[in-house]
Amino acid sequence: MTDLASRDPLPSSPPAPAARLGASTATGPGRLGAVTREVALYVVALGVALAVSALLVALTHGSPGRVVSALYSGSLEGWGSFGYTLDNAGPLIIVAVGAIVSSRAGLFNIGQEGQVTIGAMTAAFVALKVHPSGGLVLVLALVAGAVGGAVWAGIAALLRYWRGVEVVISTLLLTFIGFQVLNYSLSRTFLLHEHGTSGATLTESDQLSSKVQLPQIGHYPGFNFGSGLIVAVVLAIVISLVLARTTLGFRLRLLGLNPVAARRVGIRAAWVGSLALLVSGACAGLAGGVMLTGQAYRITPTISNNVGWNGLLVALVARNRPWVAIAVAFAFGALQAGGGFLATTGVPTDLVNVVEALVVLAAVFPPALDEIRRRRSRAKAVVSEAGGAA
Amino acid sequence: MTPSTPVSGAGGTPLPPVPALEARSLTKCYGKLVACDRVDLAVQRGEILGVLGQNGAGKSTLMNMLLGLVRPDGGEIVVNGHPVVIADPVKAASMGLAMVHQHFSLIGPLTVWENLSLGEKGRIDADRTRRHITEVARRYGLDVDPDARIDHLTTGQRQRVEIVKCLMREPDVVILDEPTSVLTAAESVELFLMLRRVVQEEQRAVVLISHKLDEVLHATDRVAIMRSGRVVADRITEGATAMELAREMIGRDVSLRGGSAAIGHFEAPADTGRETDEAVPGDVQPTVLSIREARAVGPDGRTLLDGLSLEVRRGEVLGLAGIEGNGQKALGDLLSSVLSLSSGVVEVAGRAVETGRPGAMASAGVGVIPEDRHVSGCVLDMSVADNLVMGDLEAVSRRGLLRRRQVAEQATRLVEEFGIAVSSIDAPMRSLSGGNQQRVVVARELSRSPQILVAAQPTSGLDVGAIEYMNSRLRRAAEEGTGVLLISTELEEILELSDRIAVIHRGRIVGEVTRRQVDLDRLGMMMGGQAA
Repeated sequence: MTDLASRDPLPSSPPAPAARLGASTATGPGRLGAVTREVALYVVALGVALAVSALLVALTHGSPGRVVSALYSGSLEGWGSFGYTLDNAGPLIIVAVGAIVSSRAGLFNIGQEGQVTIGAMTAAFVALKVHPSGGLVLVLALVAGAVGGAVWAGIAALLRYWRGVEVVISTLLLTFIGFQVLNYSLSRTFLLHEHGTSGATLTESDQLSSKVQLPQIGHYPGFNFGSGLIVAVVLAIVISLVLARTTLGFRLRLLGLNPVAARRVGIRAAWVGSLALLVSGACAGLAGGVMLTGQAYRITPTISNNVGWNGLLVALVARNRPWVAIAVAFAFGALQAGGGFLATTGVPTDLVNVVEALVVLAAVFPPALDEIRRRRSRAKAVVSEAGGAA
Repeated sequence: MTPSTPVSGAGGTPLPPVPALEARSLTKCYGKLVACDRVDLAVQRGEILGVLGQNGAGKSTLMNMLLGLVRPDGGEIVVNGHPVVIADPVKAASMGLAMVHQHFSLIGPLTVWENLSLGEKGRIDADRTRRHITEVARRYGLDVDPDARIDHLTTGQRQRVEIVKCLMREPDVVILDEPTSVLTAAESVELFLMLRRVVQEEQRAVVLISHKLDEVLHATDRVAIMRSGRVVADRITEGATAMELAREMIGRDVSLRGGSAAIGHFEAPADTGRETDEAVPGDVQPTVLSIREARAVGPDGRTLLDGLSLEVRRGEVLGLAGIEGNGQKALGDLLSSVLSLSSGVVEVAGRAVETGRPGAMASAGVGVIPEDRHVSGCVLDMSVADNLVMGDLEAVSRRGLLRRRQVAEQATRLVEEFGIAVSSIDAPMRSLSGGNQQRVVVARELSRSPQILVAAQPTSGLDVGAIEYMNSRLRRAAEEGTGVLLISTELEEILELSDRIAVIHRGRIVGEVTRRQVDLDRLGMMMGGQAA
């Protein structure tokens, strides 16, 4: 092996003692320090969030200690609670993985809530209106969910590459249209409205037949969880492999990191970007399908239940790493489960929401701070470069 | 301070008045590079001083020192006869020094008056600012609408805003950095008329930085010519010819400095006026790149390429000389499939290539070392290995799956072949020095054995060793049969490497000479936009 470091003609480059090719991982003290810093940042942020929460609880004449223990018992204590946490995590993982695909391609799809809604709706159509034999209809329903979500995100892709509309805006606005589309189909009997009730009553669909329901693994009160989680974890693994190991994933990352360079090496932004958006929407739609067939069993106007927004947050907190997203989704799922239980202990629901939001903020804070720092240092570099130019 | 007596355009009154601004022996070094070497310069009230020089002659560094952006290493700055220390641009402004920058410092989404009230202290008074703008604009005959949004303005209009911004502070000395590089010919004439009024009617001093011979000739009273960080000539403009200025700007020692035998023959006296017509001896190699009548317009409506035609043959280096901003970037973009032509043809090895379709040029056999390698030549957040293989993923994959072993092998091979100093092929591109980043780009582009290699400012920002390496690589690529198109604003580099030299001016080729016929005076004139 050649000692390449000695050939470096630039005095300014960092000294690379015994530089060797192939030594892949660069785990120096610098990197370790960065990890420690990151962890410390999370701990501090979470500590502040919990302290503020405790203060709020105390101010409303509650007991902070009992709130914490309620959060714990609702999410992690006992198999039942734990299963509930896992069931919450499943759809969050699916949505987050989809969000990761689009943001890796440099497109900020924030319309997952709408794509979940549409996905659940199309899945419900197939589940309620198609009657093939066996478990095929379940698969078809999930596929329909993915297709629905993909179509919804596809509109944003079309607008982006045909008319230049920013994805952030189009996906967000499409979410609200998605809600209305679902409301409309739930209010019409020939679409999804429940049979045998008058149009004036609750807007919800018929219940899914048992063969269109995702199987439950294990039995309550023992360890049990919906098989949606398995779908989610498999999907996360597949997507992370596609991103890391395929030419498609490579092109997608290249496009996201540097669109100009991507274009120069022949990547067509319209194709790769559209594909990323479609996959992203398909994931959200699939999450909608999983929620319908795994937990809700009938579709209501609030079927999406903030899973789209929360999944997006999971992706943000995980900083677009699919593996980390699984862990973060689990934490979010636990928080949701715990929060649900907390509400049953008499703490006002509003306060529960505030506590949840504070914890989420704490989780988002370190990556946001990091991003701001990076931008500042970049801006500084640009200024010093411009100033020093002879 | 007493207002000095008006000086006529020719200057040189028996008792010289105190200069408004004077640089005495100003020196600035960056490492070993001496950007400004004991520069003496003075500008009087009522006079337009031209500072002429090629890119990198030290003009910008000098001005940055005068404005407090860069600390001098030696010498002093004298304002109205008093030595001063200029710590920052605010201090400079308080001493009456103001600059109109080449790159505008305006904020697009804000209106003109909002932009011009930035940096003001105290309460913002929209009406007063508007009135002030209108008043200043009218005084100098500049058409500026205070309520227009900056990003709705053309570049020429934006420059007028910059000028108003500068004049609103009633400066004693106005410095303009390459003001006409963004203007049309008519706009330039208007600008110079306005400058004349500024010096004659208001006794201000103007410093006009430029590398265009004709505008220095027409617009200035006196001209200081800089080369390699020194003022090599300081003379009254009247009576000077473009030829004399060009000679001073480029310098006879261009060909001496390289010291290599390859360029020794530039010293041979060349007949200046006569058209040389000797044919290229030996067999003529086939054309690998042919651009005919290429026309392109930018998004802001400015003409980027205006009927540009050129040919590059197998195994030759065609140097494209020219002053920055004359269409070099557009040509580089065209050959990177980033720019589409409105008319014209690009042929690679005899086949027409669709312009503007991502990857079309690359797959036709065009390799590009882009001018802004950080931005478009590489991906800083990916690994060195990824950057080395990204041009041809098919070679390191099977059925869409990346084969890590092949990626590593290919990357390792290129790292060794091109002597890229890197701790590991998995190191992030960002961690490499500029020279090594450039090597990665060159390695990637050459690894695909292109028919034609476009190198745009390949050595900008590199140190001597890296430049030497880059030049030898380009030479070798040509020897191995690649057609090399070298786009550079460094005349030295062009002279050192090229077999033929074409000159680009305002988006078209204005002249072409073979290596034997090189005549620096003529080249300088063509670059400056003078018919030669």
